[in-house]
Amino acid sequence: MKQNKSVWLLMFLLVGLLLAIGATRSGSAKTQQDRIDSITSNLACPTCSGESVFVSQAVAAQAIRLEVARQVSTGTRTDDEIISYIEQRFGGQVLLVPRATGLDSLVWSLPVASLIISLWFLIRAFSRSRKNKPSAPSAQDEKIVEQALAESIAKSRQS
Amino acid sequence: MLASAGVAGTIGRALLLVGFVGAVFGAFAAITGVRNNEPRVIRLVSRFAVLAFAAAVGAFAVMEYAMITRDFSLAYVQKVGSWSTPPLYNFAAVWSALEGSILMWVLILSGYTLAVCFWMRKRMNESLAAWAMAVMMIVLAFFFLVSFVPANPFAAGAPGVLDGPGPNPLLQNHILVMFHPPILYLGYVGVTVPFAFAIAALVTGRVGEGWLLATRRWSLFAWGFLTFGIALGSWWSYEVLGWSGVWAWDPVENASLLPWITGTAYIHSVLVQERRGMLRVWNISLLVATFSLTILGTFLTRSGVLNSVHAFSESGIGAWFLSFFAVVLIVSVFLIGWRGDKLRSPGIIDSPLSREAAFLANNVLFAVFAFIVLLGTVFPLIIEALQDRQIAVGAPFFDRLTVPIGIALLTLMSIAPVLPWRKASAETLQTRLFWPAWCGIAALVASLALGAYGLAPLLTFTLGGVSSGAAMRQVVLATRRQGLRGLVGRANGGMIVHLGVIMIAVALGASNSYSKSQELSLVTGTPAFFAGHSFELIDVIEVRDDRSISVKARVIVDREKTYEPAITKYTRIGMNVGTPSVKASLTSDIYLTLEPPVRQNSSTARIKVFIKPMITWLWIGTGFMALGTVLAAFPGRRRRPTEATSALVPTSEQNAL
Repeated sequence: MKQNKSVWLLMFLLVGLLLAIGATRSGSAKTQQDRIDSITSNLACPTCSGESVFVSQAVAAQAIRLEVARQVSTGTRTDDEIISYIEQRFGGQVLLVPRATGLDSLVWSLPVASLIISLWFLIRAFSRSRKNKPSAPSAQDEKIVEQALAESIAKSRQS
Repeated sequence: MLASAGVAGTIGRALLLVGFVGAVFGAFAAITGVRNNEPRVIRLVSRFAVLAFAAAVGAFAVMEYAMITRDFSLAYVQKVGSWSTPPLYNFAAVWSALEGSILMWVLILSGYTLAVCFWMRKRMNESLAAWAMAVMMIVLAFFFLVSFVPANPFAAGAPGVLDGPGPNPLLQNHILVMFHPPILYLGYVGVTVPFAFAIAALVTGRVGEGWLLATRRWSLFAWGFLTFGIALGSWWSYEVLGWSGVWAWDPVENASLLPWITGTAYIHSVLVQERRGMLRVWNISLLVATFSLTILGTFLTRSGVLNSVHAFSESGIGAWFLSFFAVVLIVSVFLIGWRGDKLRSPGIIDSPLSREAAFLANNVLFAVFAFIVLLGTVFPLIIEALQDRQIAVGAPFFDRLTVPIGIALLTLMSIAPVLPWRKASAETLQTRLFWPAWCGIAALVASLALGAYGLAPLLTFTLGGVSSGAAMRQVVLATRRQGLRGLVGRANGGMIVHLGVIMIAVALGASNSYSKSQELSLVTGTPAFFAGHSFELIDVIEVRDDRSISVKARVIVDREKTYEPAITKYTRIGMNVGTPSVKASLTSDIYLTLEPPVRQNSSTARIKVFIKPMITWLWIGTGFMALGTVLAAFPGRRRRPTEATSALVPTSEQNAL
């Protein structure tokens, strides 16, 4: 058993190490188009119903795509700065990811709160289960089980 | 022509009324019959079910007839009918707008009602069956009424109209419009059956496990069609919409995902109740949640309160659905409270390292998942109501919050299938997880070797390896013991579904993290290169028919085959629809779209190329899920926990089940 445990320890170490390597290395450099796509998928098309600028074929979306492409190609602004710029021009409703300020922050905090509450429920259910260990069967219980077993075996033999 | 048209509208409307009356009388007969114990009255229930179904089929047929004969005296045909729509799309045009889709809901629900009635024909005297029929009939009556009053498909249109625009162009350029909506509805509407039995169990006080076992297959049927319908929707999005994505977190998509999430939680936690008698309140609550989410979803997306690409024009059905939603919730909560003492579960969870504890954790995760999707979907409404300000909550929000949930679920899928009921020791877990763990390490090493990076996708691939190992372990053990029969039954079929889910998770992880795209300006005769592939423009051609003008760029990819991304202008509606062209393979798809502006007979074209890794595995995974669901629906060799003999020889392999 001891040997088994060390194998598991080794496995976890190996996985941790490999994940650390994989998480820190980066893939091939992002193309400009990748940047444009990621920025525009964070922006809502102002004239359509619920589509992002990246998805939409509407004229307004095309105009914003061109503007984003222009700013990406000049290379002076970061992704966040470009998004803020578009937000200033069109208003808060073009952001597909709500900011974590004011009432909007609820959309971020409520999911976290719900996760914490449900984990608390889960832990409570488990800890209660540990306190209420079922008692050992009494002699009478065993007798009942035996009888039921004998009956059902007899029944299955008959059929 | 106009004279006969008036007839179609009148007949259709009359049939809806007949259906409504039939459903109301059916509910009435079921309730009074079982309360006064009169078999003759109860026998009437099935007649009313036949009547309601016949009326629904008739009304739907009248609508189809009106659509096929282009009966423009009906407002609905004026809205979505056109002489230029090809026959197949014209047939599907019936469900391409609000009124027709409610009519399809009525048709499918009346079919379910009749099917349940036929299935329960010998047991209709039992109070549980009779009450379940009553609930089905009441829901059916509600939908007949919605179709009769606020969403009337047979309303007369303006006189003198001789042709219409036809359905939305997106609903007339891919064959999936024939299949995706009906299949999705089969799932969406099908959750009414287990819900009806849950309410009947509460009303009659027979909250034991009998009704669960009885409706198991119905739940699975509805869940399977919901899964398949959602997957077909993703495929449609990918093949038609031209943004290279499969899921946009659009409110209508969320409305179909929400009952899927709670339904998935239910088909897991119901096992705990069957086996251990626990979680009774929770399971009934999940069924109530699943059904009421279908109603709430319909309210949110069909009343015009939320913006969505799927949304139909505004209509007055909002108040109807919201009231019905409130009634369903109030009645259910009242019934659960009333039966509270009967619902108290006899058992407790013995250990956190047990199958039932894993199911509980699964349910907690699914509940949080559903909460996040619901919150994100309605959050713009909340902000607008409180601060009178417009905001949007879109895909990036959902992606960011659901990826951790998905990874947590994959972790559970790795451990839960090897856990025995009641209690596991650390040694059991170590032995059983040994090979799955190596599968995970192999997956991690392989993905690193292929150049994968980033923590979330790598965790997904690793856990995908472990969980598929755990699923395969179950399937291998079962088939070794029972041969091919080992593939059948809930536990084994369930593992095939798990394999499908894992493929989808891995495919989503890869395609969301490693997609690349580039716009290319092509000139005929000069190939352009991107990501190791060559793209050469042959020419730009134009294809016309009487409803559209289509401009296609013919592009040779990798000097092998020609692909034709296109932009089609639907002249009657004045809308441009892009049609992508995809070179699919098991490792990665090349997805081409034509970018506006386009000119025919030009020697240049701008195209956008997306490289999407592993997308094909989404569709293969869907196939596995469908296959697994079918296998799970067959009766496996199950031990009956109530039979004492089944507990005779506790071998370690039996524990594994």
